[in-house]
Amino acid sequence: MTPDGALLSLDGISRLYQVGSEVVRALDGVSFEVQRGEWLAVVGQSGSGKSTLMNIIGCLDTPSGGTYRVNGHDVRGMADDALADLRNREIGFVFQTFQLLPRSSALANVELPLVYRGLPRRERRLRAEAALRAVGLGDRMHHRPNELSGGQRQRVAIARALVGEPSLLLADEPTGNLDSATGEEIIRLFEELHSRGHTLLLVTHEPRLAARCPRAIRLMDGRIVADGPGREVAAFGTAPVVTA
Amino acid sequence: MKPVRRALAELQESVRIALGALTGNRLRSGLTTLGIVIGVTTVIAIVAIIQGLNRSFERQVQVLGTNTLYVDKWKYLNLEGDWWIYRNRQPIGVRELKAILRDSQVAVAAAPSVWIRARVDRLDKELTGVSVNGTSGDYLAANGGGVREGRFLVESDVDLARPAVVLGYDIADQLFPGQPAPAIVGQRVLVAGHPFSVVGLLERRGKFLGQSLDNLVLIPYTTFQRFFGARRSISIAVAAPPGRLGELEDELTSILRRVRRVPPGKPDDFTLNKQDQLLKVYRGLTTALYGVVLGVGLITLVVGGIGIMNIMMVSVHERTREIGVRRAIGARRSTILAQFLVESAVVAALGGAIGTALGLGVAQVIALASPLAAAVTWQAVALGLGFSAATGLIFGSWPAWQAANLDPVEALRYE
Repeated sequence: MTPDGALLSLDGISRLYQVGSEVVRALDGVSFEVQRGEWLAVVGQSGSGKSTLMNIIGCLDTPSGGTYRVNGHDVRGMADDALADLRNREIGFVFQTFQLLPRSSALANVELPLVYRGLPRRERRLRAEAALRAVGLGDRMHHRPNELSGGQRQRVAIARALVGEPSLLLADEPTGNLDSATGEEIIRLFEELHSRGHTLLLVTHEPRLAARCPRAIRLMDGRIVADGPGREVAAFGTAPVVTA
Repeated sequence: MKPVRRALAELQESVRIALGALTGNRLRSGLTTLGIVIGVTTVIAIVAIIQGLNRSFERQVQVLGTNTLYVDKWKYLNLEGDWWIYRNRQPIGVRELKAILRDSQVAVAAAPSVWIRARVDRLDKELTGVSVNGTSGDYLAANGGGVREGRFLVESDVDLARPAVVLGYDIADQLFPGQPAPAIVGQRVLVAGHPFSVVGLLERRGKFLGQSLDNLVLIPYTTFQRFFGARRSISIAVAAPPGRLGELEDELTSILRRVRRVPPGKPDDFTLNKQDQLLKVYRGLTTALYGVVLGVGLITLVVGGIGIMNIMMVSVHERTREIGVRRAIGARRSTILAQFLVESAVVAALGGAIGTALGLGVAQVIALASPLAAAVTWQAVALGLGFSAATGLIFGSWPAWQAANLDPVEALRYE
């Protein structure tokens, strides 16, 4: 583990699926690095391979070929339990549909990653409360998801992603189920988190959102076709800044 | 420490989720546990009644001394079809009693017993069907019990075949209602029409196998033979010092074979009955009964378990996305497995608890409404809870295994 190296390092990542008798290349030789404190968007049409890439970066899936390192850990050949622990420590997930547990309070939802880490109850409680306050929900801790608005639910989900102090916040279409005003609030929250030094990776098909990110990567047919400032990569039709 | 704490925290979380899922689907959970409830109720009720019977039987069997052998023509509780062997034996008589009294080194007491049912009356009081028992002074030493007033039969009563009688508790109570014990001794009663004088009164002894032990009178066996004939086979109760019953058995066998002239190589033509023989036969019966109950219980638990498996499959299906989220934020496969196992075990154990309570209630009702007894033992309760929780674990393991082995990517994408 090299503390001053890149946080994420992908080298020649490929992912093949067997569909019937055909082999589909969802990712084909993807290489890039993400430094600590970066805010990066991965954009692309559906079918471009961005979901597959997100699953691999999130350690939910492992590549068929190439090397992927998170915070110095090579995921190749890792056992399922080790991957689960890696997700717990290094990755905070934010999903398009929030994915909160409906029967649990906001606080219990946020505590969950710490349960899986084996922290004592009191510490879990304190850290979950702090995380909810950090996303502006200090007064909604004991509400259940169905008592919260869409924007509030996504804030709970972000608090849950942050509570374990992961290296990377991985968000999949985080504004996809929100109206534009609420979506804007969430983007502001991301900006704030970025300014506080968090590393963020957004997967989205919305150019508008990618344009707000300092850096963006465009995928097409499983390959990186653009990697550069968000505004430029988001603008469709402009020449690729860097080709991989 | 950390893995332990993690496991505890996860277990706590699992129980919380299980209870949440239970209360969230009350009707569904209720119907699911119904099979388990019915099965456990049945088993617990039957087990409680069997154990109640066991207790009263074992208490009653104590009446037969643990250190006493009973020399008889018949074998106790002989359930085989060879009754005619016993029927054709020569009766046991005074000859055998005298041989035992003369030759046994081990025996501490040997009392004959021969009885008929007869009428006992005094003035206007008349009792029928009283057990009239011919015995000797050794009776108390061999059979237990004691005299509360007056004296017991003595050697001279036997030698002279005196018309002396000792009254059992119930008989004294019914022939002399309200009279103080000292006033009864010395009075006259008629036994089967023959005048007898009361020499003593027995202490209360209770019941044995549903029969009162206080509904009898004791007279010298010589007097018995004078009035009722000497051809009946008698039973001889022979007491051994503690721990020497086996020795006594060997000694009596050789004395009796000699006095009855059994040729070498032929089987005994008498039986040495023991208390534990009754227990053995009885235990054999209840063991068979337990087997049947266990079979019935297992079948109902399997039926209940299939219900649980079904509902857990539905639950896993419904919560596929939740499983995906949990896996994404760091739950291991074993965590998911444990979560669903805990849930099915909790559902089943809850059914078991309800079934145990109902079963004990049913047993109490049966005990109150019938001559059967019921005993609540911790074994029965542990059995009910343990079996149902085990059912939950066994039948929940397949759905839980499926949940644990979902691919997180697929589970998250599941609509």
